[in-house]
Amino acid sequence: MKGVFAPSYRTWMHRANPVLKLGGSILLFFLALFTHRPDFMLYQAVVFILLLFWQSGYAFWKILLVVLSFILVFISSSSTMMLFGKGEALWWEWGLIRITEESFYRGIHIGLKSVTLAAEGLLFVLTTPSVGLFYALMQNAKLPPKFAYSFMASIRLLPMVWEELLIRRNALRIRGGQRLRGPRGWVAAIRLYAVPLLSQSIRRAHRVAVAMESKAFDGKGGRTYYYPSVFTKFDLLIAALLLGAVSLALLLGGTLPVFSIADIRNY
Amino acid sequence: MGGFHADLPPAGAAKTPMSGEPAGEVRDLRLKFPGEDTFVFKDLTFRVERGEKLLLLGPSGSGKSTLLQVLSGMIPELVDVPMRYSERVLPSAWGMLFQDPDTQFCMPYVDEELAFVLENRRVPREEMAPRMRDVLKKVGLELKELHVPIGTLSQGMKQRLALASILLMEPEVLFLDEPSALLDPPGRKQIWQAVREVAEARTLIIVEHRIEELLELELVDRVALFGPEGRLLGQGPPEELFRSYRKELLAYGIWHPGVWDGYVADFLEAYQETGPTVGGQKADSYRQAPEGREQGAQVCKPAGKKHGQTAPLTERKSVGEPAGQPVGQPVMVLTDFRGFRQGRPVIHAAQASVYPGDFIAVTGPNGAGKSSLLLSLMGLLPSEGGYRLSGQDMSWSKLRNKMVRAVAREVGFVFQNPEFQFVGNRVDQEIAFSLLEETAGSEEVSRLVDEALIRFGLAGLEARHPYQLSLGQKRRLSVAGAAVLKRPVLLLDEPTFGQDAVNTFAILDLCEELRREGAAILMVTHEEKIAETIATRKWEVRDGVLTDCGLTERGRPRAGIANPATVGVEGTAAANGERVSV
Amino acid sequence: MKQQENAVLKKGLKLSDILVTVLVSLVIGVVYHFWSSVYGLVPPVFFQADELVYGMWFIAATLVFLLIRKPGVALLAEVAAAHVEILFGSEWGIQLVLYSVLQGLGAELVFALFRYRNYSGTVAAMAGVGSAIGSLIPDIYYGYVADYETWMLFAKYGMRAISSMLFAGYLAYALAKAVEATGVTSLIRPVTAKDVAALDD
Repeated sequence: MKGVFAPSYRTWMHRANPVLKLGGSILLFFLALFTHRPDFMLYQAVVFILLLFWQSGYAFWKILLVVLSFILVFISSSSTMMLFGKGEALWWEWGLIRITEESFYRGIHIGLKSVTLAAEGLLFVLTTPSVGLFYALMQNAKLPPKFAYSFMASIRLLPMVWEELLIRRNALRIRGGQRLRGPRGWVAAIRLYAVPLLSQSIRRAHRVAVAMESKAFDGKGGRTYYYPSVFTKFDLLIAALLLGAVSLALLLGGTLPVFSIADIRNY
Repeated sequence: MGGFHADLPPAGAAKTPMSGEPAGEVRDLRLKFPGEDTFVFKDLTFRVERGEKLLLLGPSGSGKSTLLQVLSGMIPELVDVPMRYSERVLPSAWGMLFQDPDTQFCMPYVDEELAFVLENRRVPREEMAPRMRDVLKKVGLELKELHVPIGTLSQGMKQRLALASILLMEPEVLFLDEPSALLDPPGRKQIWQAVREVAEARTLIIVEHRIEELLELELVDRVALFGPEGRLLGQGPPEELFRSYRKELLAYGIWHPGVWDGYVADFLEAYQETGPTVGGQKADSYRQAPEGREQGAQVCKPAGKKHGQTAPLTERKSVGEPAGQPVGQPVMVLTDFRGFRQGRPVIHAAQASVYPGDFIAVTGPNGAGKSSLLLSLMGLLPSEGGYRLSGQDMSWSKLRNKMVRAVAREVGFVFQNPEFQFVGNRVDQEIAFSLLEETAGSEEVSRLVDEALIRFGLAGLEARHPYQLSLGQKRRLSVAGAAVLKRPVLLLDEPTFGQDAVNTFAILDLCEELRREGAAILMVTHEEKIAETIATRKWEVRDGVLTDCGLTERGRPRAGIANPATVGVEGTAAANGERVSV
Repeated sequence: MKQQENAVLKKGLKLSDILVTVLVSLVIGVVYHFWSSVYGLVPPVFFQADELVYGMWFIAATLVFLLIRKPGVALLAEVAAAHVEILFGSEWGIQLVLYSVLQGLGAELVFALFRYRNYSGTVAAMAGVGSAIGSLIPDIYYGYVADYETWMLFAKYGMRAISSMLFAGYLAYALAKAVEATGVTSLIRPVTAKDVAALDD
């Protein structure tokens, strides 16, 4: 599993501090959320997809596959608005479906927004290992250690839960017995899986917590760090890169407009 | 760090009338878990001297682990339990090694995990790596580099890593809470050796069921024996205690030196086809009813001559086959059988057969393919080659639920962790679950359930949630759930793992009962004693290859056990003659 | 006699509370991730059928609260469950974590309204609706859902609310009860005065 999903090389993005990347990603999220001009949206999508190819550290074909899956993202997020959105300039009507000019462009805009967020999100998650993220949040963003370590410890425990899920599935296959049908059988089946997994997880988590605290973990702070999380020149580089990407999208949206719609909400 | 200074009773140590500085002490301790009726401890006073190497012994549920947590201060500072005491002395610096190697770590890599402790103690970064190497060396865990995923270590290595991380606390007192219970025999040996290496100038307080290895290393100088409900029965140097409290050790089913030999002698005597006295072992029985088993006790008692001869097993087999050879039709036959994981062969059996009345111990190191064998036999892994069950062809290469069900109609399966096979909310539902699928009348079902409850020592617990049972009861319930269907073959995956003596023996007795009724038992086990003396046949799995090691001493025809078909007047007499010399 | 100080005095979440919350939520997140990825292969374009299982997203908040019964765990649970998407490198990673904050807050507010003392299925169902409302807020800016045809708006969010009540409310309640029956929750719930008094028997 690890081979396919590990990046093949490290980029600037990998070397930057996770806290900076997280902050940048959140800002980019809000930028996209409040972008109402389709041209700007389009170029954000384009620029961040390019950035994804360049900075993710994965082979071209892998990213290409991921980017192709964005088509699905685009369709699933834009279709409802296209087909069922309000609008005056009717293009096509069939039963409940009403495609209007307004709803069509609004749908396109939403689809582009989703694609942008997907590219930005992937750029972050593909270049940031979780342990590194929590280490950095603890050291650079004042996240209390008891939260950071709870996440890191839980991530370590997850594969064990997965193992148990497989064991449970085997056990249920041997024992058989799906007597109830319909929703009641459904709830019964969920319960059959959930109870052993949840109770075992609770016990495990509790045991780990006790073991951690018995090793003088007070969860408050005042720690030294074996792997110090520091800011480097790569952080400046990445900050500049992200800012440059946004500026480029803005510039392209202004100079090479495709839709020429100022605000999609008042269209 | 140093325990929890803030909560230390002021000048607690000074008040003690005893001489010397205790490493830990508690007076008039009362402790009761929420919602329980019985006290874990009622007015217990207990003291440990500095530098002592102490072993706490007692039946499961006698509160030994709880006492460790009280003496360390974990209860109530970290674990909230209703308790009180009049006086308490906590160790100034301590560390606790827990039972489960997988739930003591919070980080994915060895260095990160060790760093966690050093970071907690605010050790400067430059000092960290040398300290890590130092403690790893002390516990005999020399890794080429520090940044190694903990997941790649064996369970035994993980436990030594846990010990290393505790050493970073620079503990004056080491609490060890069944650290070897979940390890295989080599792992057990290594962890105790590591403990001995670091024991010098420290106080050791140990709770452990399996004590052969630690006694061999002469690790402890005092043993404290607890009875049910946290009563301190007695204490003293190991040899002395084991001598003078033999009766109590037996009565409470506690592991102690010689317990296996006694049990095996009793077992062999009890399960001969006829019941002569093989001298000496009658007074103290090693084979006794576990808690709540009284009502059904007679099913575990030695079957008399008549019963033995009329057992269904005897009827099924044809009399007069050559002695020593299995007789009748094999219930399971493997020929050039291979099991696969992700397309790669992980287990191969060239030729192996299972006959009714076999008690086969499947042994071999961890990771050799024992679980793969069980899973492929159950149809849970794809397999190819010859596989026949009760005459039906079971070989297939595609996984299908239908196939699993077909196998499950012939083979009962007992999982290593009982909880993962439980499906009922009540003990009786749990036993009835599979029966309801196959047995027509609900009256018949409830009769069979009642029978099983008595037989498996679970009577009176019908309404209990299976998760709320003790470790031993859970194990018996899991066997009951599989055995009640009376399949010709019963597979058990390390059923005695982590069990105390009394429950281990109860499981073996139950399996023997089932075997005598004609079932074939296939038991994966690390327990040499089971493989050598209880089982009738031994299989070994090594590097993905199954080898039939043939009959064991007990399985050989002269013991008159594996081949009950020969049980006639002459056969029995001959067997008895041989038995005495065994 | 020294009586232990009761947990009532120890305010806030202990490490074990947080760890249990996070692990349970990650488990829920993993299950949801795989379920939805299978489910997502057939996107129901014409009918918002996925809204009918949307409530599953909010089950972490309510289930964990029903198990642990402490302030703050509902919000934490929702964020932790969404974190799985980051772990798995999903396209929706960051987005879902930010959504989860509002969804968790929605549930948390409902539990707070009942002063964190009501653990019934009905309150859990209301908390589920709280989460659904939390998810509506960013939808307005993100998906301009206010510009849907009115019937569509009601259909979509009506289904979401109903599914939240069913999954995050009643299913979570049933699961919490089933887990409670195993006795494991006694590990994570504070000792009561009654338990301490039982020492005098």
